[in-house]
Amino acid sequence: MISYFLARRYLLASRREAQVGVVALAAFLGLALGVAALVVSLALLAGFQTHVRSRLLSETPHLLVTPAGRGVFHDADRVGGRIAEVSGVVSVSPVARGRIWVSMGRDAAPAEVVGREKTKGLVLDVAQARPLGIVPGETVTLVSSRSRLSPLGPIPIVSTMQVTGLAPASTGRRAAEASLPLDEARRLFALGPDGATGYEVFLKDAAHPGKAAAAVAAALGPSVAVTTWEEQNRALVLALRLERFVLFAAVFLIVIVAGLNLAATSAVLAATRAGDAAVLSVLGASPKAVERVFRAAGGGVGVAGTFFGLAIGVAAAFVLGGFGLVPLPAQLYGLGHAPFRVDALDVLVVGILSVLWSFVAAAIPARTAARQPAVEALRGV
Amino acid sequence: MVSETAPLLVAEGLAKGFGSGEGRVEIFRDVSLRVLAGDLLAITGPSGCGKSTLLHLFAGLDTPDAGRVALEGADWAALAPAPRAALRGAGVGFVFQFHHLLPELTAEENVALPLFLAGRPEEVGRREAREVLDRVGLLGRAGAFPRTLSGGERQRVAIARAVVRRPGLLLCDEPTGSLDAAHAARVFDLLASVAKERAGAAIIVTHDPEWARRCATIKLLGEEGLSDVARSAFPAVSGGQTVV
Ligand SMILES: Nc1ncnc2c1ncn2[C@@H]1O[C@H](COP(=O)(O)OP(=O)(O)O)[C@@H](O)[C@H]1O
Ligand SMILES: [Mg+2]
Repeated sequence: MISYFLARRYLLASRREAQVGVVALAAFLGLALGVAALVVSLALLAGFQTHVRSRLLSETPHLLVTPAGRGVFHDADRVGGRIAEVSGVVSVSPVARGRIWVSMGRDAAPAEVVGREKTKGLVLDVAQARPLGIVPGETVTLVSSRSRLSPLGPIPIVSTMQVTGLAPASTGRRAAEASLPLDEARRLFALGPDGATGYEVFLKDAAHPGKAAAAVAAALGPSVAVTTWEEQNRALVLALRLERFVLFAAVFLIVIVAGLNLAATSAVLAATRAGDAAVLSVLGASPKAVERVFRAAGGGVGVAGTFFGLAIGVAAAFVLGGFGLVPLPAQLYGLGHAPFRVDALDVLVVGILSVLWSFVAAAIPARTAARQPAVEALRGV
Repeated sequence: MVSETAPLLVAEGLAKGFGSGEGRVEIFRDVSLRVLAGDLLAITGPSGCGKSTLLHLFAGLDTPDAGRVALEGADWAALAPAPRAALRGAGVGFVFQFHHLLPELTAEENVALPLFLAGRPEEVGRREAREVLDRVGLLGRAGAFPRTLSGGERQRVAIARAVVRRPGLLLCDEPTGSLDAAHAARVFDLLASVAKERAGAAIIVTHDPEWARRCATIKLLGEEGLSDVARSAFPAVSGGQTVV
């Protein structure tokens, strides 16, 4: 294409020409830096988000099946069995969830607890243990809000248990939760030997829980509610998505500003080559063709700057992540150093937007240049 | 005898002035001209009488205040920018007083530029450009950049570029104006012969009677339009021969 042929010659020649060269170099470096910054920040964010999501997924059941009303599941309902038959379901386990008082000496505090089959002993969340000064190994009394009848009348159900451990604060998705063995929870909440307040379901494909959720809901009918892990953590999932968008928009501003330098490049080139533009129209170039030449020159710098920036950004992300060069306080994030994850789609989107913007920015002065009457320039030269 | 062939260029009642209000200057009015295939026409007149302006009107680069210009039957004023550019590229060759070569392109690329702009493949453009460069005696300098060429050589490259598409009309604006006498003579002779081979007709603008005298027809541009001038009014100064 003649416009790229000429644009390339202009830019190569501009190395020897102060006005064009300086502006083109500034535009090139500015865009490269902006693009690199965008790639690195997105890689850092993707690294963190992957980390947060995987922690969420390890803490949260992929699906939670609960009675639609206030009822309780029993074995006779065959709910667990029917969930297990849905395709994509890997495991189903009953849970008993409720609220109790944890009492230690003279103090007591309310606590959410969940009973699971596999849990051994009582594990309190640090947020629950701290106000009461509880350390592992101590024995606490759990007082249920349910009561049983005794010869003396109804008395609360209580249980005395040793605290076997403290769980680190969870990813912040919802209230702190203590866990204890399922049978103990059933006793505390008077659910009977086979009662459950819900079923926790794990799926083969945790990333897309919607289809399995619909299949489970269809299999069980309207008497149950099915929530996915994304719905259980709606606020966090939304925040992650928003964070990504906000970061992208903020850092892309750098690219936009850098792109304006391309407009300057194209304008300076057009100003110093007004005579050439006139000659081109004498030789049969339409105004559109002349415009294309100057736009290609600005856009060409944009393409070069974008690719250079992408290369720097990807390389920096790999180096920073691979060698763990950005240390983090471990207790804050559960990570020794900042994770970087280069997402191919991010790189592609950044590249395409940057190149498109370059051509848009270069187009405006190019159009102005192409509309100058050729005769003026011919007389001037 | 009236020629049977349709005229290449028809200009009727052209008028042009610049500026507005108090500062308005009328350059010329009532300029009419017909150029037929094979014509070699000189337009002469003192500096500033509007010769360049008139050529710009002929090439559709500027619009007249009155009158009309048609090239190969097509009225410039009736054409949209794209077909106008296409007609100019195919139908008009232009040689300026200064070469106006693009400094970033080699001689060969400069000559091929009109072909590139017309969408010819690069190989074809370069081959045809070399043929024409050979014709103007510069094949050996095909790869040279304009800054390394002498003034005469640059002007020969510019001539090659003007005729590479075999235009119907070759317009030359003081083509030897920037050269010393010896080079000017060589370039003028070359221009005249190349024009005859590769262009339908040629108009050569010059304020120098020496060159005007060598053309078949001579017109003098004044405020009231073009008037015929007899060749005998331009006595040979340095013994150059007439090209017809
Ligand atoms: N854009 C313009 N604005 C004002 N005056 C102009 C403009 N272009 C040309 N002129 C005037 O028109 C006259 C003719 O110019 P030109 O065609 O270049 O003359 P020539 O080629 O015969 O020397 C000159 O007096 C010049 O100053
Ligand atoms: Mg002139």
